[in-house]
Amino acid sequence: MKVSLFITCLSDAIYPRVGEAMVRLLARYGVTLEFPPIQTCCGQPAFNSGYWNEARTTAKTIIEAFEDSDFVIAPSGSCTGMIHHYPKLFENDPAMLDKALALQSKTYEFTQFLVNVLGVTDVGATFRHKVTYHPSCHGSRLMGIKDEPMALMTRVKGLEFVPLPHAEDCCGFGGTFAVKMSDISGAMVSEKSDHVKETEAEVLVGLDMACLMNIAGNLRYRNEPVKVMHLAELLYEGVR
Amino acid sequence: MDTANMQEQWLKEMEEKSRAKQLKFIGHISSKLRRPMVNEAPKHPFRGAPDFWNAYEWTEQERIERFTENFKSVGGHVERLSSMEDVQRFITDKANELDAKYIIRQNEPGLAALGLEERLPEAKISVWNTDTEENWKARSAEADIGVVLVDHAAAYTSSMVVLSSKDKGRSVSLLPTVLIAIIPLDRLKTRLGEVMEKFDAAGRENLPAGIHFISGPSRSSDIENDLTIGVHGPGIVYALLVG
Amino acid sequence: MSHGAKGGATVKERAELALNNDFLRKAVKFTTERLKNGKLQAMKEHGNWEEWRERGRQIRLHTIAHLDYYLNLFVENARANGVHVHFAETAQEAVDISMAIAERVSAKTVVKSKSMVSEELHLNAALEKIGVEAIETDLGEYIIQLADEPPSHIIIPAIHKNRYQIAELLSEDAGETLEADTKILAGYVRRRLRSKFLEADIGMTGCNFAIAETGSMVLFENEGNARMVTTLPKTQITLMGMERIIPSWADLEVMATLLPRSATGQKLTMYMSGITGPRRSEDADGPDEMHIIIVDNGRSLQLGDPEFQELLNCIRCGACLNACPVYRHIGGHAYGGTYSGPIGAVLTPSLNKNIAEWDDIANASSLCGACYEACPVKIPLHDMLVYLRRRKVEAGHSNKLEDAGMKGFATLFSKSGRMSTVLKLGKIGQKFVARDGGIRLKIGPLKGWNTYRVTPTLPKKSFRQQWATLDAEIREGLKEMSPDIKRRMEQAVQSRKNGGTHGHGHS
Repeated sequence: MKVSLFITCLSDAIYPRVGEAMVRLLARYGVTLEFPPIQTCCGQPAFNSGYWNEARTTAKTIIEAFEDSDFVIAPSGSCTGMIHHYPKLFENDPAMLDKALALQSKTYEFTQFLVNVLGVTDVGATFRHKVTYHPSCHGSRLMGIKDEPMALMTRVKGLEFVPLPHAEDCCGFGGTFAVKMSDISGAMVSEKSDHVKETEAEVLVGLDMACLMNIAGNLRYRNEPVKVMHLAELLYEGVR
Repeated sequence: MDTANMQEQWLKEMEEKSRAKQLKFIGHISSKLRRPMVNEAPKHPFRGAPDFWNAYEWTEQERIERFTENFKSVGGHVERLSSMEDVQRFITDKANELDAKYIIRQNEPGLAALGLEERLPEAKISVWNTDTEENWKARSAEADIGVVLVDHAAAYTSSMVVLSSKDKGRSVSLLPTVLIAIIPLDRLKTRLGEVMEKFDAAGRENLPAGIHFISGPSRSSDIENDLTIGVHGPGIVYALLVG
Repeated sequence: MSHGAKGGATVKERAELALNNDFLRKAVKFTTERLKNGKLQAMKEHGNWEEWRERGRQIRLHTIAHLDYYLNLFVENARANGVHVHFAETAQEAVDISMAIAERVSAKTVVKSKSMVSEELHLNAALEKIGVEAIETDLGEYIIQLADEPPSHIIIPAIHKNRYQIAELLSEDAGETLEADTKILAGYVRRRLRSKFLEADIGMTGCNFAIAETGSMVLFENEGNARMVTTLPKTQITLMGMERIIPSWADLEVMATLLPRSATGQKLTMYMSGITGPRRSEDADGPDEMHIIIVDNGRSLQLGDPEFQELLNCIRCGACLNACPVYRHIGGHAYGGTYSGPIGAVLTPSLNKNIAEWDDIANASSLCGACYEACPVKIPLHDMLVYLRRRKVEAGHSNKLEDAGMKGFATLFSKSGRMSTVLKLGKIGQKFVARDGGIRLKIGPLKGWNTYRVTPTLPKKSFRQQWATLDAEIREGLKEMSPDIKRRMEQAVQSRKNGGTHGHGHS
């Protein structure tokens, strides 16, 4: 059974620790991830900006990279969601469409794979901190990832969970939106940070490094001492 | 030609234009849908509410309780009365309490039997459309209280349904300051759909010009989202559940 | 129209004005929050919301797919009821027909209840030109008419005004000072408009739904003004978007279940009226003459377009505005069209067919999908925003700088080697600007981002650079997979072969 890691460009370049945590956590269940080195970006920035030819170019690279995998696991609901958009991208190209559908059906966001496929909810972790959780929009709304992270977090010993007020509100990242509409995006992330602060949590977790980078960047700008982690990191931290 | 005839003539011309345009306008829709115009009724497998909902029903007691609860929650008043004598007493007392000078009611035997005219000699009580010379809209607008007998009601949304006719003006439930609406209990259903299906069954030819669902007093939240009652329609509404 | 989007040619500029208007942001936030919570509460209380939503979507899909049939049926029935039906392909035609009717009856005043179609047509200004006074009678609409502004929310048109501003407007209207008290202000409007209703020559309405099988038009409202407008004047004109059709009263139950709950969290609006023709000959109220103008004005552009046809399913509840975090921060006027919020961002360019001009609205979204989630008929607005952006690029109207950037993006990410090279350069570059593992520089491409954030620096080694070492270490001490996990993985592969899917919520 070939289980491949789709690291996503952000975790590859800026947050390698997230990939490492995933690899080490899954290894505890005898799941060895393999890493096709030709993988790059899912193409979402181009896709969302309307540059579908460019998105198709990178999508083809991704499809090729994971062609013979049985499972593809990514630490991001948004990038997983992008792969689920590939069939739309190739709707007029029957040969590629088949491949896109095949990739879609085997691509999972990390917690979906852990909880829904492997059936793991208690990783045996201990994490004695006050934690809040931001459900990223693409993961929760478009991929339906809602119960999985909660199932994992509630079973971590010592973890004090504080719900994030207005958790479902977008953090304002939105890819190129944060640059093109920087003031609107800035207003949104500032509001998100206000809500994080309200919880008095020591740690903010999530499943998408893009959103977390956005919120962490704003928290740091405001000198708020909140640690921001991907849930995989938190779980791995708790078992090591 | 007098003005009325000229207007008739003009409307006729407009209708001819409209019929010619209709072919083009709707033909354009068909062509956009990339098929010939559909003239046969298509199968509509999703007509109306889901089945589980159509099977939903409350007991009479539940209907009374839920209607009352819902109607009060939007600022309306509900009285549970056992007979038309109680209704008579309630309206008389209310009119005296509010010092009502003008009252208007629908022209219905059930309302005539209340004998409000004799019981409230101080007030001017008008009966809708009993004199073709009268300006009935103005009579309704000046009224302190309008009295209607509702045709249907649905407890789930606390809605009272009034139908217009020669004897039942739309203005009576709309223009007075206070509306008193009488709901015979056998007209109180659970769901809106139980009322709607009557209109489908009746068919176009048998529908009145005005069908009005009234679910509470007139309201608005347009200023700072602050709820105000009684913006254009009656601000005080009594629903009298009788039977 | 005398009023238009104020200040700024682009969404970005208009949004900036809004973002600097503290009151506006607070007011919009407060009200949308309340409406949103009201909706959530109503959904929960009613229960089975997903089933209702799906039913609503199916009814709308079915009707629009057979719009020619149902529209013909509606028109024939309306005519049989004694209604004069007119067709307007363009806004101008609708205006011309309305003005012709007004002139025929020598109208001096028209009382109007809320109609978004009328806003599309800029009808009030046209009527004014021929000396007909058009009076908006919905409280919120009356206020913004005095202010000479367009509505900034589909349901709460004056959401951006506070009661002091409103008191000022109404005091000027009254010729006396009115206290900034909601009751007093609403009371004034009630008195002021009561005589207008009774004197007006024409009542003009929009149309929430039109029932094909009986030729009835249906209005939802809370104030009673739509009832006034359809009861008192001698002539009634109803402006109706051609997609407002539903087949039957039974279908109206579904719409009546979805619309008020989604709009304001109400079980039902205080009034829901079904008007079937002018007054019967012996009736003593209701219009003598009733006109329905069926308006296209760009709607047919979406028909037959698989990416946008579902826009015609919209029931104008405003739930997507209330759910939208962008709308909440910038308000409705920043969108610059008749319709605001997510639905406006898609509808305006679609109705106008001028993607290039309106496209910057499509950029005012983080694509968070809250609009889709809130929509009672499940219109995938977030996907449509992406399609709009794509169409602009395809039509060659995109920004040249962005074109170059995206070409570079594709080149960079088509080969992983190129990506590594760039990362290496980045690590060298950041040495000059990074402090404590963060970059705070506010110039160049980082300006917008770093105005609100600190950018993280690149780590010493990327994941792919660490991979070989990590992989070797893992394989060294690897545990055997438990039979249970193995079985579950095999099952997942099997169910996939049988056509099972996972994840994606909507496609």
